[in-house]
Formats: sequence, structure tokens, C-alpha cells
Amino acid sequence: MVRFENVGMRYGAGPEVLRGVTFSLDAGSFTFLTGLSGAGKTTLLKLIYVAEPPSRGLITLFGNDMATTRRRDFPAIRRRIGVVFQDFRLLEHLSAFDNVALPLRLAGRHEGDYEHDVEELLSWVGLGDRMHAKPATLSGGEQQRIAIARAVVARPDLLIADEPTGNVDAEIGARLIRLFAELNRLGTTVLIATHDRALIESTKAREMRLVDGRLVELRTAIRA
Amino acid sequence: MSRGPAQFMPREKGAAPLDVMIGIMAFLAALALGASLLADRASLGWRAGLSNRLTVQILVPAHGDAPRELVRETAAALAVLRATPGIAHAAALSETEMQNLVEPWLGKGSLVAELPLPALIDAEVIPGAPVDLISLTARLKKVAPDSQLDDHSRWLARLKNLADTITWTAYAILILIAVATAASVTFATRAGLAAHHEMVSLLHQMGARAGFIARAFEQHFALSTFAASALGATVAALLFLTAGSLEVFGMEAVPFLPPIALKLREVAWFAAVPLAAALIAWITARLSVLAVVRKIY
Repeated sequence: MVRFENVGMRYGAGPEVLRGVTFSLDAGSFTFLTGLSGAGKTTLLKLIYVAEPPSRGLITLFGNDMATTRRRDFPAIRRRIGVVFQDFRLLEHLSAFDNVALPLRLAGRHEGDYEHDVEELLSWVGLGDRMHAKPATLSGGEQQRIAIARAVVARPDLLIADEPTGNVDAEIGARLIRLFAELNRLGTTVLIATHDRALIESTKAREMRLVDGRLVELRTAIRA
Repeated sequence: MSRGPAQFMPREKGAAPLDVMIGIMAFLAALALGASLLADRASLGWRAGLSNRLTVQILVPAHGDAPRELVRETAAALAVLRATPGIAHAAALSETEMQNLVEPWLGKGSLVAELPLPALIDAEVIPGAPVDLISLTARLKKVAPDSQLDDHSRWLARLKNLADTITWTAYAILILIAVATAASVTFATRAGLAAHHEMVSLLHQMGARAGFIARAFEQHFALSTFAASALGATVAALLFLTAGSLEVFGMEAVPFLPPIALKLREVAWFAAVPLAAALIAWITARLSVLAVVRKIY
């Protein structure tokens, strides 16, 4: 599903943020990405969700070699990926409902088709009574839950989450992880970047760690 | 609730400076359009009024008994004209008609009555009939040495030139306004893209095609441009209609020229102003957004 071969990344003439990164994510896998702040986690995620081109190396997404894939095919690839951004990136002028429904609308679905699903998902993340609220009126934790709901609502093939539990309490965090696990069980490949050791230890998932721009495999998935 | 791409654009509160500017430009465009319509109509009117007509002017003789000589020359010129093949009708203007003619310039009063006005003969040529003007001038000069024959061709050519100049100037103004509108919308679109960079970047990241993002902007700008320019064109239309109603009450806005009131079917052309402005905004916004979005990876 995702394959990196000797990928390097630098911004402009700066130093390489990622060096010789090689790994693959199998379809239906659940992986944690860890590392200290500034280790390159967010950059690596950006390369996966097609926000930046690599400086070198080969990236293959869903069987597409991204170096040779036509730019006009990028939107279709991006729509297969759900992203929980670290800074949420909610549209301030849209309600919680409309923010969550965004991927479905971009996919060309009509409101009547997805209204119930969006409402149910918002209730599941504990925001059933805030679905018409604008992000500015919500707390950081509530905004994060909207960002997560938006990332999963279209049941993407690949879910990427950058510190998805950073602003929520332990109970909500556990609930969100159950949501990711449920999605994973339904076939979505999940990659979560986090500092939260408790979260990592609560699962038997694979862990990759970035150290000074290089990727180290810390733990392979433990089969139950 | 709108479900189209335009809903992703935040609603701006109040009239944006761009709307005000486009409203003013539409007002000026409608004025230019009205001027070109008036020039066209005036040109047609002038030509219809003067074509197939000849005017013989007999200046007040500077010798002998001037009034008596003027009457004699006028009668002689009338006889020559009426005997000329191709001339359907010839008649001298009465004193009242002469005073009415000069009244717009000199006003009413004893001054006009005391002026030594020339005699004027209005002759109508049978449409298509060939009249040898050189020969006619010679025959008129023979019986009325103070006569001057005018077939209005020079006057008509100058009027046509004037009307054409007004019309082409109006077209040039319309083109300039269209270019200014396009430039303003381009600037506003780029400013909008910069202001809503986060939204554009997010939509792009979530897999929205460039055309989808462009639609959000083009709908927004086309609708706001349409509303602003419709207001500007309406104000211009009201101005022309008001000028027309003033003329109905005898307050001529511009003496000697045809009335500046536009007919309703002419005012209907003003509807083209907001439609054209919206189309320009639509195309400009689309091209601007596509150019910017396609630069994003």
C-alpha cells in the first residue's frame, strides 16, 4: 500500500530532514511512528499524504509510482487518504457537521446520502450536541475530535494521524484509539505519529521510530 | 443551505471595496453604452432629416433696396428650383419659422426681429432622382446672385463623423472598463487566494481538483460582481430615464442635440452590463485560481 525506498527530503538548500528512509506499510496494517520533536515525523507524513515531493528516492502509493504518476491523478490518490493534522486545519466558517462532511462532499456525495452517517460519527466522538457549532467556539479537544471524524468519515484506505490524542483526556483518547482500531479491522491501513507511550503500549501494533531523519524499526506487529 | 463549491468561501460582511469599484465601473460602462446608443440614434435622426433635402440660403443683399431685393431673389430662386427636374417640392421658410430656427441660439425678443435674417428655401429631392448640383448652383447664381446652395453633404459627413467618434469612444471606454474589471478581479482573486490560503490548501490536500476549488472562487466573484454591476447599471439607467422625464417637462438637458432620454428597449441593453461583468469576473477568477492552484504540489 505504501512503499518508501531510500527516500530523502530537504527543504530548499537546508539539511536533509529525512535520510535514506525505506519502509513499507501493508494493506490493513496498524503502525505507530515515533520520534523526538524535530525528528522528521511530520515531514514523513507529508510525503505519504502527497503534500510534498521527496528530494530523492522512490515513493509508491496504492501501486502508483509517485514520480511517474500524472499530477491530474493526484486528487484521486489523496481522496483515498484520511489525514488528522496536528493543527487540525478545520475550516473556521463551516460548522462541525460541514467540516466532517467535507471529504464526502469532495467525493461528490449528496447531503441526503451522508447526513445520518456524519451525525452518527459526531455523536460517537462525543459531539452530537455540537454539530452546528463553529470551530472557534469549540475547545482544542473538541476540534481535534472533529478533525478525526473528518479523516475517517469517508472510510479511507489509508489513515494518517499526527498526534491525534494530544489534546484529549485519557478516556476520550482511548475511545479514539478504539475508533482507529475499528477502522483498521474494517480494512483501513492506519499510521499514527505520537509521543504517547501509553497509547503505543496499549496496542500490539508495529512501531517505527525516526532518529535524526533515519527510520528505525523498533517493534513489528505482535500477532495475537 | 448551498451545497456547491461556493459554500466553501467564507461570507464577507458588507460591501467589499471590490464591489464598490465594480459598481462604479458598471455605472460608467452603462453611461458609455447609453452615449453610444444616443449617438447612433442621433446620427440616424440627423441623416433621415437631412437626406434628400436641399437648402438655398439667400443672404441679405448688400446693395440697393435690400429687403425688396431679398424678396425678388427668393422668388427667382424658388422659380428655378421648381423648374428643376428631380425636385419634388420647394418652399421658402416663413419669418416665424426663421425666428424659431435661431431662437435656441439668440433667444426670443426684439433682437431677433431686428436682425437682417437671410431667406431660406427648403427643397425636397425625389429619392433617387439625379440633380445636377453644379448646374443648379450656376442657374441660381444667375437669377439670385446672393444665393448659396447647400446639399448638407458636408454637414451630414461631419455629423456622421461625430456620431462615429462618440460610438467608438464609447466602445473604447467599454473595453477599458472590461480590462479594468478583469484586472480588479484578478487582483481580488489573488488576494482572496492569499487570504484563504489555508482553505485552498486544505481542499487541495483532501483531494479537491483544481476546477472544484476554482468554482468556489468563480461563483463567489461572479455573483458579487453581478450584484454590484447590476446596481451600477441600474443607477445609470435611472439617470437616463430621469433625464427623459425632465425633457417631458420641458427641461431640456442639452439644447440643440437630440433628447438624451433612452427608450425602454434601449435601456434593456443595460442588462448586458452586469451579465458581461459577471462573465468577465467568472473567467478571470477561474483562470487566476487555476494558475495558482496548479502551482501547489
